[in-house]
Amino acid sequence: MQSSTCIHFCVSLKWRTSAFLVSFLIVATLEAPGTATAQTTTTDHLSGKLVITGASTLAPLIAEIGKRFESLHPKVRVDVQTGGSSRGAADTRQGLADIGMVSRMMKDEEKDLHAFQVARDGVGIIVHKENPVQALTDDQVVAIYTGKITNWKEVGGKDAPFTVVNKAEGRSTLEVFLHYFKLKNSDVKAQVVIGDNEQGVKTVAGNRHAIGYVSIGTAEYDESQGVPIKLLSVGGVAASTETVRNGTFPISRPLHIVTRTPPVGLIKAFIEYAQSKAVHDIIKQQYFVPLVD
Amino acid sequence: MAQTLSRPQNLREWFAVALVWGAAALVTAVFCWLLGDIVWHGLSHISWTFLTAPPENAGRRGGIGPILVSTCLILGVCLTVSLPIGIGTAVLLAEFTSDHSLFGRITRRSLDVLAGVPSIVFGLFGNAFFCKTLGLGFSILSGGLTLACMVLPILIRSTEEGFRAVPTSYRLSTAALGLSRTTTIVHILLPAAVPGLLVGLVLGVGRAIAETAALIFTSGYVDRMPESLLDSGRALSIHIFDLSMNVSGGDANAYASALVLVILLLAINGTASWLATYGLQRKAVTV
Repeated sequence: MQSSTCIHFCVSLKWRTSAFLVSFLIVATLEAPGTATAQTTTTDHLSGKLVITGASTLAPLIAEIGKRFESLHPKVRVDVQTGGSSRGAADTRQGLADIGMVSRMMKDEEKDLHAFQVARDGVGIIVHKENPVQALTDDQVVAIYTGKITNWKEVGGKDAPFTVVNKAEGRSTLEVFLHYFKLKNSDVKAQVVIGDNEQGVKTVAGNRHAIGYVSIGTAEYDESQGVPIKLLSVGGVAASTETVRNGTFPISRPLHIVTRTPPVGLIKAFIEYAQSKAVHDIIKQQYFVPLVD
Repeated sequence: MAQTLSRPQNLREWFAVALVWGAAALVTAVFCWLLGDIVWHGLSHISWTFLTAPPENAGRRGGIGPILVSTCLILGVCLTVSLPIGIGTAVLLAEFTSDHSLFGRITRRSLDVLAGVPSIVFGLFGNAFFCKTLGLGFSILSGGLTLACMVLPILIRSTEEGFRAVPTSYRLSTAALGLSRTTTIVHILLPAAVPGLLVGLVLGVGRAIAETAALIFTSGYVDRMPESLLDSGRALSIHIFDLSMNVSGGDANAYASALVLVILLLAINGTASWLATYGLQRKAVTV
């Protein structure tokens, strides 16, 4: 007798809990605001939701810019999604996204989209400051990274073996580097594999025979702070944020945001903000190079 | 004679025992190493602020407050949808269809195939169906529903096993007492099948909470505090993936987030096994 009451009680308790859960879900759904589309009111106030998709390289940068934009315009929501540059272009073309993110040169078949550059990404080769080598040719860099040559004296340095520093899989600097030198990651014979840029700078600064590559923004900042590293020039072009900015430095890529139609209203306001000086500190924080100084 | 025979046999015995112990030790060692690594790197970053504050500078600084909320909401949607459907289907398979009926065989086979489908396939399906066709967009609702699809096969199959494990005498007794089939299922069989249900739940929740591929295209990447279920919200697993693979300098917070995820999973599993013991006790009382 007692046990059956217990079953009754327990079952009804369980049901009550699930009923509560369901009702909570329904209420939460009903409370959702109506259609969320990009729109502007006639007054100065911007409102609505911007959906941005595309390159994962750009996603953290645009998300941070979005957050600051939201704090300036409290009625605006900027939703950033990732999935790759080609997806950014495709989603924008289909109208699934208001703005796409493309972290490379625009392809010929993407000329129908309106592209706006927000920043550049450059990768520089670094060695220890006391290394006598001033420049390396592309072939020499390939030979060093594939292990064909193993001693600095073969490229005009001291008699010492290279310590080749490579980036870990999945880093965008790795992709840019491999793409420029037409290498596969499996070809690279590295003594040290590192994660982020700061780690690369520290590794090279602590080893006189090391060679590595990092985001130019990081390297330039650390060099100015007295860290004993130096950036090598590539193809006769000095590695600096300046040459990355004007596009002459070869190991670099533009970072675009794209729209399907000429931007108006909220989209226009956001793109103008993303290209303005007000976000330069965010761009530098994410180790990219702003377009104008 | 006996000695010469037993010697190689002893050796074989010894070898088999060593193999079994070695395998178990290896599995435990891998788990301990993994857990130790995460605790060692992550523990110093965890604080109340970390658990409640929003992420800053792409997650390098700040906390995981909104991400924890999103994760729990996604899991909540997933369970609210998958539990009733899962239990219903399991009841149908175990109580209303025979082992050999064509319908039952087809349903079981398709569930087994679904259980082995890679999560990215569920992600693309969720993106195409929930986000685009149903127009839910990148939202916690889309993510939770996609996870529900993913968790359902495991949940149904193990709940079904739970029902099958209930002795036939239970059903015969209730029939003899003149109880209706619904009453039998709700009040007798379901409580007795709870252990099977919980096994499915633990496996399903484990799969759901660790999911990245199915969620990146459905619930999305937005790390703002969600205001409704139609907002996009970043799950903890996606946050860890992004910090370790996409954001340079995010490793410390990635470790801390991973530790939170492991603790969350252990807490859920602990609750489930506590519930299982409790359920078994109640079954004993019923008998």
